[in-house]
Amino acid sequence: MAAAAKAGEATLRHAFGNVLSFFILLLIGVLAFSIRLFSVIKYESVIHEFDPYFNYRVTQFLTKNGIYDFWNWFDDRTWYPLGRVIGGTVYPGLTLTAGTIWWLLNSLNIPLSVETVCVFTAPIFSAFASWATYLLTKEVKGAGAGLTAAALLAMVPSYISRSVAGSYDNEAVAIFALIITFYLYIKTLNTGSLFYATLNAIAYFYMVCSWGGYTFIINLIPMHVLLCIVTGRYSSRLYIAYAPLVVLGTLLAALVPVVGFNAVMTSEHFASFLVFIILHVVALVYYIKGILSPKMFKVAVTLVVSVGLVVCCAVIAILVALVASSPTKGWSGRSLSLLDPTYASKYIPIIASVSEHQPPTWPSYFMDINVLAFLVPAGIIACFLPLSDASSFVVLYIVTSVYFSGVMVRLMLVFAPAACIMSGIALSQAFDVFTRSIKFQLLRILGFSEADAGDGSSANVVPENDAVKVDKSEETIKERPSRKNKKKEKEQMEKAQAEKTSAKSKTEKRLLVLPMELSVIGLLLLVFMGAFYVVHCVWAAAEAYSAPSIVLTSYTHEGLHVFDDFREAYAWLRHNTEVDDKVASWWDYGYQTTAMANRTVIVDNNTWNNTHIATVGTAMSSPEKAAWEIFNSLDVKYVLVVFGGLVGYPSDDINKFLWMVRIGGGVFPHIKEPDYLRDGQYRIDSQATPTMLNCLMYKLSYYRFVETDGKGFDRVRRTEIGKKYFKLTHFEEVRQS
Amino acid sequence: MNHLILYFAAIIILLVSLSTSDSNSDLVSELLNLQSQSEAGVIHLNDQLVSRFLTSTKTPRPYSILIFFDAHQLHNKPELHLQELRNEFSLVASSFIANNVDNPSSRGKLFFCYLEFKESQSSFALFAVNSLPHIRLVGPDAKSLKDDSVQMEQGDFARMAESMADFVQSRTKLTVGPIHHPPLLSKKQIGLIVVVILIWIPFMAKKIFAGETLLHDRKIWLLGSVFVYFFSVSGAMHNIIRKMPMFLADRNDPNKLVFFYQGSGMQLGAEGFAVGFLYTIVGLLLALMTHGLVRVKSVSIQRWVMIVSLLISFWAVNKVIYLDNWKTGYGVHGFWPSSWN
Repeated sequence: MAAAAKAGEATLRHAFGNVLSFFILLLIGVLAFSIRLFSVIKYESVIHEFDPYFNYRVTQFLTKNGIYDFWNWFDDRTWYPLGRVIGGTVYPGLTLTAGTIWWLLNSLNIPLSVETVCVFTAPIFSAFASWATYLLTKEVKGAGAGLTAAALLAMVPSYISRSVAGSYDNEAVAIFALIITFYLYIKTLNTGSLFYATLNAIAYFYMVCSWGGYTFIINLIPMHVLLCIVTGRYSSRLYIAYAPLVVLGTLLAALVPVVGFNAVMTSEHFASFLVFIILHVVALVYYIKGILSPKMFKVAVTLVVSVGLVVCCAVIAILVALVASSPTKGWSGRSLSLLDPTYASKYIPIIASVSEHQPPTWPSYFMDINVLAFLVPAGIIACFLPLSDASSFVVLYIVTSVYFSGVMVRLMLVFAPAACIMSGIALSQAFDVFTRSIKFQLLRILGFSEADAGDGSSANVVPENDAVKVDKSEETIKERPSRKNKKKEKEQMEKAQAEKTSAKSKTEKRLLVLPMELSVIGLLLLVFMGAFYVVHCVWAAAEAYSAPSIVLTSYTHEGLHVFDDFREAYAWLRHNTEVDDKVASWWDYGYQTTAMANRTVIVDNNTWNNTHIATVGTAMSSPEKAAWEIFNSLDVKYVLVVFGGLVGYPSDDINKFLWMVRIGGGVFPHIKEPDYLRDGQYRIDSQATPTMLNCLMYKLSYYRFVETDGKGFDRVRRTEIGKKYFKLTHFEEVRQS
Repeated sequence: MNHLILYFAAIIILLVSLSTSDSNSDLVSELLNLQSQSEAGVIHLNDQLVSRFLTSTKTPRPYSILIFFDAHQLHNKPELHLQELRNEFSLVASSFIANNVDNPSSRGKLFFCYLEFKESQSSFALFAVNSLPHIRLVGPDAKSLKDDSVQMEQGDFARMAESMADFVQSRTKLTVGPIHHPPLLSKKQIGLIVVVILIWIPFMAKKIFAGETLLHDRKIWLLGSVFVYFFSVSGAMHNIIRKMPMFLADRNDPNKLVFFYQGSGMQLGAEGFAVGFLYTIVGLLLALMTHGLVRVKSVSIQRWVMIVSLLISFWAVNKVIYLDNWKTGYGVHGFWPSSWN
């Protein structure tokens, strides 16, 4: 009777817990979505920055012309006169996702514009990502840790910076895809189910569609498999988790045009094939070990090992030959700079020049993951006690991603989910210990007798606590494959093991408490820390990461100023120039010009052709006549330059100018950087070199600038300009906004 | 008569110019000779040679001279990086010579030299050099060694040989070309390592199959992963890539050292490790409390360890927030209703 009542109570608790978790998850989703809406509230519902405009334009094309036209789209509005094959050079995941959402909504008679769907894609997928984090962490350390990790991920600043409403970029969906792929891998590893293995391959396919960062997955998972093999953790579940992923995943990845045969040809993928071979060799060894007597096995081992070694050597030799035959050794520049961090700064200026490829300093970590940075080590240690297949994977994930984030600040984005998972584990275990200490000792104080272990009311409490525990372990056992007779035995053993441990934990658990008053303090400190995290995240979302950078604001003592000059200029181009006119600008503004002004540009943010960019850079750094000749040869009718010296907008073309000189000089040697520098210093005042004062960029930027205040004071460079009165000879001003 | 004077004058001028050009080419060949005798092509100057090649010659000289001011007694002071810089300097010199072997005209235009403080104190005084490290370029037109020569700024040798070469290229309009770094390992060493690895593989394989390597020790993995975490969050990769020093000497007071650099986007080595330590220690203490301390039986030990670790954690978090505020001007604020203020 009593047992039945207790079991009933346990089910009730269980059901109650499930419902509660469901609602908590719902709220976490709402939180993840709504914290990213600051940009819409503070500014308006616009697409942000540069790349998202391209994605937006592609999505528009997709929704208008359908998937087949999108797949075959040759874009003649960009890289004039070369053009660009869009269908074969973009990661289509984001576009297809947003296109599908739009189509779905429209077929449900919800008439949202494409732009609205694009703006809100990122927040929606952040909610999905936090749910995926819950699932992943639950597989590793249980539901409590899962919920904590999901809540942390919902508002981690690093992720917010890439997924506020309007930042319609690949990373927005890719992080979700990354986490769900990891979850499905762990799930397969824990259950050994082919169903999840197939899902895992599909999730990997989605990741490949979405982001170039998929190479992280296809290197991390093989690393984990190798780790498991080396540390003697090989099991058939491992085989099921890995082999289908490689075969199916590679086949599927090769379907994405932008990846294509790279999926089997480049070194980034070779690790997975190598591990695939090793896995089979090991599987064979285990199989033979199973059917042979120990003595026979020893003979076989020598045979198999020698044959295996020969095969391995042959394969490695082939791989090495393949790799050595390609100029960059088969690795792309970005991947190489991860392995050898000093690589990019030495050899590839165009990678080194991008600010998000810089190595971060310690304040970046505090800004991007805030107090999680303090909690991660505790999470790592928790994962080692005890070490399971799943927790070793998470440890591997955090170690590799934290190293990569140290090399490139951009990869902080990949590190952030790992940090959330680890901190979630750490926080939930700390809460567990502290609340347990308080609960038991409080009960004891509140007159539930001084009863010693084993009887009275305190015993009442303990089994209750344990009931949940046993329940949980039963649950995990249920998840394991119960379809095969062979497994039954093992299961029974596991069950016995679980019972043993739960009995052990029953006796231990009562002792595992800390002094109560200090637990209260510790709990309070943790809560304060969490509160600080929330405040920081809200602040980061509201102030630091919400600016669309297409609409600028500045606060002065007179109040708020809004500069909408970008859109004004693009609108002018759209309405006042011929449809087929060519507009030259530095590559940063290429995507925006094609998307908003619908005019043909020479170069854009997809920096695939260095020579073409260098041509524009050379034109900008040449004197007017030479520049006119270059631009005329490219049929350019309008030149767009962005100048912020009047309003104090620092990322204008004059500040980017040295990169134009450098990149231009890299291809056309008559442009030399020292010609633009006075004693190694970049200046535009009266000390500037004549080359600098006569180049097109200077002239276009400062033309009639002196008329604004009579002195020509540049508010970005904080100096008076060097050459104030001059006329344009080969260009004329058509519009300034 | 007039004609005669003019004639003589013309001859004299011709002679003088001939003799100077002659002595100039002598000087160059002498320098080239010295260069070939010296190690890595860095000529050892002393007071006599300075006066011979720099002070007593007429400007414009046909060559520029880049001088590294060295002091042997300061080599043991690691913060000056004298030896390191000297090596980099020789690298630039040998690379310049190697890259300009086929181009004798530019090879004779620039010479790399060094002066030792102990034996050439008067030359040091001539250049008014009173602090090291100091590298100075004497151009062809420099009359007064002190005022007309150009000092290489700290920033120019921050990136070692490459930036020194950039400096030389921008000032002399001569091309140094790619720097030839000595390979990290010689061919013999590489061969040896390969052989050792080949011998070691079978033993390793045996151990792996037996399952008794360091790889099977969880503590190693644990320590390793915590260390990688510490290493990365301390921004050590930034320090390696940017070659940041551990600390700087204070500009106003050379005896004082600066450990913390104000301003985001840059950090010093010691600063990074200090904050990385703060980041890591809190998590370690928390893990100690939740996993280790609960198993301890004695309540008073539990109490004391908890007090200490809570205090340290609190202090560490506060310290990081304070430092971040100081460094980057970071300050969050809650979004309270404005009427509350």
